Amino acid sequence: MSDDFYLRYYVGHKGKFGHEFLEFEFRPDGKLRYANNSNYKKDTLIRKETYVNRSVIEELKRIVNDSDIMKEDDAVWPPPDRVGRQELEIVLGEEHISFTTSKIGSLIDINNSRDPDGLRCFYYLVQDLKCFVFSLIGLHFKIQPI
Amino acid sequence: SVFKQNIKKIMSGGDVEVEVNDIDDVSGVVMDEEPDEAETVERIKSGVRVRKGRGFNEASERISMQEGEYDTVDSQQNGDPGPARSVEGWILFITNVHEESQEDTMYDLFREYGSVKNMHLNLDRRTGYAKGYALVEYETFNEAKSALQELDGRDLLGHKLHVDWAFVKGPLKKRGNNNRTSSTTIKTISGTGRSTYRRR
Repeated sequence: MSDDFYLRYYVGHKGKFGHEFLEFEFRPDGKLRYANNSNYKKDTLIRKETYVNRSVIEELKRIVNDSDIMKEDDAVWPPPDRVGRQELEIVLGEEHISFTTSKIGSLIDINNSRDPDGLRCFYYLVQDLKCFVFSLIGLHFKIQPI
Repeated sequence: SVFKQNIKKIMSGGDVEVEVNDIDDVSGVVMDEEPDEAETVERIKSGVRVRKGRGFNEASERISMQEGEYDTVDSQQNGDPGPARSVEGWILFITNVHEESQEDTMYDLFREYGSVKNMHLNLDRRTGYAKGYALVEYETFNEAKSALQELDGRDLLGHKLHVDWAFVKGPLKKRGNNNRTSSTTIKTISGTGRSTYRRR
């Protein structure tokens, strides 16, 4: 089984305050990139990067594996729209997923969708990933990402 | 494709970052990984056997990731391998944390080796149990090192904790064998549910 791993998540929208987005990316060499942009109240773009250790990448792989997200498919998920867009791209071993969907408001939106189980899997994984990244970036750079 | 163009943009030097400067000054360290990293991402993406998702057919926002400069913590500029300091201290990454672990138990374990400046024991957002990892920060390298040595392998609720540095100064060395044959059959599952097979 190949060791290859790559993960990228994006959520954002373009609106009154410009292109507001959050994005992070884990590259095979351990580089974690984080970007958070909003022009609301003239906030500046935050961009941070750091190298994480092997054990961090391995734990991320475990979280992704346990979520079973690689078994899902975004075919019938709500497409990105005016309200917003999410992208999740993962390479794990020999599989590469690249999912897109709209912003998810709550579990109610999920339960009313055409693929509640798949979307729920995505929803919780994204929350866990954000938690993971916010801890890493927040502690390393002493910033509050949220 | 869109991302191929973006990768080319990176490789043309658009945002090769400062922390990998003075490659010539660092002997014995594989630092030429950095400019090749974009190529590596491209390679592992093209080496897969199964692709799935709408994202392959849609324009992406990933361009927002590739432009501009990224802040780093200064200590990550010299590039020799090893743990990296964070802005205010040294951070350990702990895994194999039992899901019923509590913050105070974790804290008691780690405070024996120094003053714990910060601790994150993150929860699974769905179940409310511990997700399985934690981060602990000490102010000094020696405290962190001591905790790492003494607590790596320590039992907590029947699980052996793994303790390691969270951050390192440079890219991880490639490991494992990536001997992909040059001809790979890729199965692409499009949003419509059709499968197409393409030989590269």
